[in-house]
Amino acid sequence: MVDPKDLQLDTTPVVLLIDDSQFVHRLLDARMRSESISLIGEFNGKNGFERAVEDSPALILLDLDMPVMDGFETLRALKEEAKTKDIPVIVLSGMDSSQDKVTAFDLGAIDFVTKPFELTELRARVRSSLKMSALMKMLSQKAQIDGLSELYNRSFFDDRFKEEYDRAIRHGHPLSIALMDLDHFKSINDTFGHPAGDTVIAGVAKIAVQECRSSDIACRYGGEEFVLIMPETSPADAFTLCDRIRERCEATTWAQHPGRPVTISIGIVGATDGAGIQCTPAAMIELADRNLYDAKKSGRNMVRASDINGAQVKIAKAS
Amino acid sequence: MNAPDPNAFSLDINDSEDAELIEYFLGELPERVDAINQASSSDDVEQLGRLAHQLKGAAPGFGFPLIGSAAAKLEGSIRALDQSEEDVNLVRAEVENLISLCQSYISQSKNSH
Ligand SMILES: [Mg+2]
Repeated sequence: MVDPKDLQLDTTPVVLLIDDSQFVHRLLDARMRSESISLIGEFNGKNGFERAVEDSPALILLDLDMPVMDGFETLRALKEEAKTKDIPVIVLSGMDSSQDKVTAFDLGAIDFVTKPFELTELRARVRSSLKMSALMKMLSQKAQIDGLSELYNRSFFDDRFKEEYDRAIRHGHPLSIALMDLDHFKSINDTFGHPAGDTVIAGVAKIAVQECRSSDIACRYGGEEFVLIMPETSPADAFTLCDRIRERCEATTWAQHPGRPVTISIGIVGATDGAGIQCTPAAMIELADRNLYDAKKSGRNMVRASDINGAQVKIAKAS
Repeated sequence: MNAPDPNAFSLDINDSEDAELIEYFLGELPERVDAINQASSSDDVEQLGRLAHQLKGAAPGFGFPLIGSAAAKLEGSIRALDQSEEDVNLVRAEVENLISLCQSYISQSKNSH
């Protein structure tokens, strides 16, 4: 789940200074105290790169002129590594060289400051870079979120499911997915209006999130359809979780239509050992969809789960 | 490369943060002077250039823009250095100049204590 805290700007950002000069570290230590940042430091490019991978700072201040691994080489490494490529880098240089500036920007630096630096200006540049990167991060997270349900959206699901599928096969770990569809949803929209329908979508999404563990990934699949990726989860365990969601949906009273409960049908497919998965990700979704279809056909408000090899795991229906 | 504007980097000895930086810089300076002397007497031009480069970048921020410009001049001369007698003498003169400037700050600070 996206933690709402991640979408806010109020955590103290970590800034990594990579510079071979003790003087520069000492100077920035003192001069950045008034900023709400936490400054960490490394004295060469190699350690700086490793630190960046490990600590994923919000911003890197990178000296160009360093022995062993210079600033350009370090910048190139940072931009080639998936974990660090989106971290903004401000290049610090003792040389006011146009060629260096062009190279730095071409390699992906966000700013270039010449030493000796005017501290007020450097502080302003640090603030501006931090603000921009926080906004970029927020935007890219928001682009993955469905506005109504606040779950991950379909395109996020498509990428993430592929990743979890590959991981389960590679490590031989369990993996389950569940497709969920609200029963007779159209009649809620038709009878009580679209705002009531939207409230149901958002409310059921909330129930799903509350029942999920932190490792589960809940997404809005389409109109009134949701999909749940459950890594490290056998189909039998997925069944237990999903049946709780089904029960809670049924038990919920809706303010806009208290006499009209909302039920959900769920189809699950999963593998206890990922190494045994023979089908494609798309075929796995199709199997879950078939269980969902069977649940609908046999009366709705029902969870059907099967193993990926076709063995039926469990069926539950409201008593 | 222009010499930094001294006014842009003036520090205030009465400000505790400024005083801390000035003190730190003066404390480090004798070691740097030794290193410059050593590099100069062993004709280690590369090391000399590195030391000048670092002082150029750092000194103004600690409130010593004059050391910064002397170091910048030295670094520039080292970069332009070919083997002519004239250039070598220029570098030697600038090393002397930088060191005596540093020494004067060091002795000033000793006298004031
Ligand atoms: Mg350096």
